Amino acid sequence: MKFLPFILKHLRRNWIRTTSTVLAMALCIFLFCTLQSVLAAVDSLLDSTSANRLITRHSVSLVFSLPFSYAGRIQSVPGVKRVATTSWFGGSLPAKKEGKAEGTGEESTTTDWSNFFPNMAVDAEPYLAMYPEYEIPKDQYQAFMADLRGAVVGRKLANKFGWKVGDTFFLESFIPPYRKPDGPFEFVVRAIFDVDPAKHPGTDTSIMFFHHKYLYEATGRSLDGAGTYNVEIEDPDRAGEVSKAIDALFENSDAQTRTETEKAFAAGFISMAGNLALLLNGIGMAVAFTILLVTANTMSMAVRERRTEIAVLKTLGFSSAQVMGLVVAEAVFLGLLGGLVGIGGSQGIMWMLTHAPGIKDALAGIGLTDLNLQPFVAVLGFVVALFLGFAAGFVPALGAYRSRITDMLRTV
Amino acid sequence: MTAVATAETVRKAAAETSRGAAMTMVDVRDVRKVYKRDSQEIPVLDGLSLQVKEGDFVALMGPSGSGKTTLLNLIAGIDRPTSGHVVVAGTDVAQLSESALASWRSQNVGFIFQFYNLIPVLSATENVELPLLLTHLSKKERRERATTALKVVGLADRATHYPRQLSGGQEQRVAIARAIVTDPKVLVADEPTGDLDAKSAEEILELMEVLNRDHKKTIVMVTHDPRAAGRAHSQHHLEKGVLKD
Repeated sequence: MKFLPFILKHLRRNWIRTTSTVLAMALCIFLFCTLQSVLAAVDSLLDSTSANRLITRHSVSLVFSLPFSYAGRIQSVPGVKRVATTSWFGGSLPAKKEGKAEGTGEESTTTDWSNFFPNMAVDAEPYLAMYPEYEIPKDQYQAFMADLRGAVVGRKLANKFGWKVGDTFFLESFIPPYRKPDGPFEFVVRAIFDVDPAKHPGTDTSIMFFHHKYLYEATGRSLDGAGTYNVEIEDPDRAGEVSKAIDALFENSDAQTRTETEKAFAAGFISMAGNLALLLNGIGMAVAFTILLVTANTMSMAVRERRTEIAVLKTLGFSSAQVMGLVVAEAVFLGLLGGLVGIGGSQGIMWMLTHAPGIKDALAGIGLTDLNLQPFVAVLGFVVALFLGFAAGFVPALGAYRSRITDMLRTV
Repeated sequence: MTAVATAETVRKAAAETSRGAAMTMVDVRDVRKVYKRDSQEIPVLDGLSLQVKEGDFVALMGPSGSGKTTLLNLIAGIDRPTSGHVVVAGTDVAQLSESALASWRSQNVGFIFQFYNLIPVLSATENVELPLLLTHLSKKERRERATTALKVVGLADRATHYPRQLSGGQEQRVAIARAIVTDPKVLVADEPTGDLDAKSAEEILELMEVLNRDHKKTIVMVTHDPRAAGRAHSQHHLEKGVLKD
């Protein structure tokens, strides 16, 4: 500790260089922590999926719907236990207008995207049966099933808007076929579900379901199909076989299908294209390596311009190991500062993303409502920062360790 | 002028008398030093022997390339001889390991450089305190000793100043304070007045005399300046790696 003031004084010698190095290191750790937190959130989301659930969608894109008639035909495939029609509603609370109460829906033409949350029209009975993790009180379930306008909302969502069972609210979809000419859809909270976080970590409760029949009826029975079909199968080991059998059914139809496990579907939905983890890790590695080179260069310069001072330290009795330790400690301290700034920045940007209107909604739309800097990611980021500092300082420090006093004094 | 010369003669005679009974502080015996540059061998010291008594003040003179600084480096333990023995304060420095030699230097030798070589980001006190970081002294004790050393060199009022705020002579005084702060037995100085004006050089030489006379430091000084060498008790001339007298 008695050497700490000595190290700090050296860091202040060229504060522009020190600051830029710390910022470079901070940028690296910021990217690392942010990307890893996104990956952790995605992993958590994917972990909440079940191996015995499949999703059947249009083979071209999620944008295209599948005919309602497919439900019965999928149900006939051997190994299929249940089929539930599902459509992503994309609804949002109507914007509050001057002089009118929020959520009245009267003459609403605009939408409050700042309060966007995932909401889906589902064939309720089979759907909720294949998602036993959603724990709904029996009486509330029955009330929901009996009310066409009924909605099941997750606990987090209910808490967010202060909804209680019996409350009414309005939603308006951004998808044209799901919009009513006479204004937003009216819903009544009939059930609030909980999820055991110990058994099902990562399962989101900021989501809402309502009857697909309501969507169909309210839009004047003009819908010609559903977005996807959720399929529960008897045996998870036969997922591949059943998926192929379902897709084979519609091979010669206009709307060919693509059936995959819920996990694969969720991963595809989040990443949309390519391997998100590989991409993000690749970016992280490239940035880390670049910063390593930058910091190593900075430390080399710092050591090179202090050759005489290193010779003086050794002349005064500092051992080569002590001199090496001082150089490494200086580099590690740069890493420490960069790490702290980077971690703080990462936490800040994630707070901003999860609170900024528009971005928050986009994240919520793909289920990333809980985007936070995970403690283990922060610790890992800090360790990476210290390692980068150590690695960057090691080679120049080794040079200082090996250098002879007389050689260094001769360069004066 | 005559009175001054007489006093100087008496002082040197007294020093000579006291040295006669003193132990040998520096014993350089049959030392060779050869530098290797690629495949070429450059002999710098060639079978050189030199003894310096405890409390002595010795000046090494000679033309550039004669091996003065190399000899000084060997005595200070910052270089090793190719062959021969360098015994300083009873320790054969050539026999010590790298880390043991560093530790030995911190306790036995104070080095004064021509260009002072103070650490620019440290204040005068912090520069002087630097060698004490290697000891087990508390922060308070370190600070007290550094302050005392600065008082000895007459710079107590500049304790918080940084090297850039000091004149050359003052910087060299701080460097001397740094050299004596651990109370070493031997002070080695490599052209300590070489970068100073005449007045500052005179002050530094007076200070070195005080350290030798009052603080009993054994001093080995390399210099090109005959006036500086004249302050020493004895002078040795090197030429092509051997002592001429």
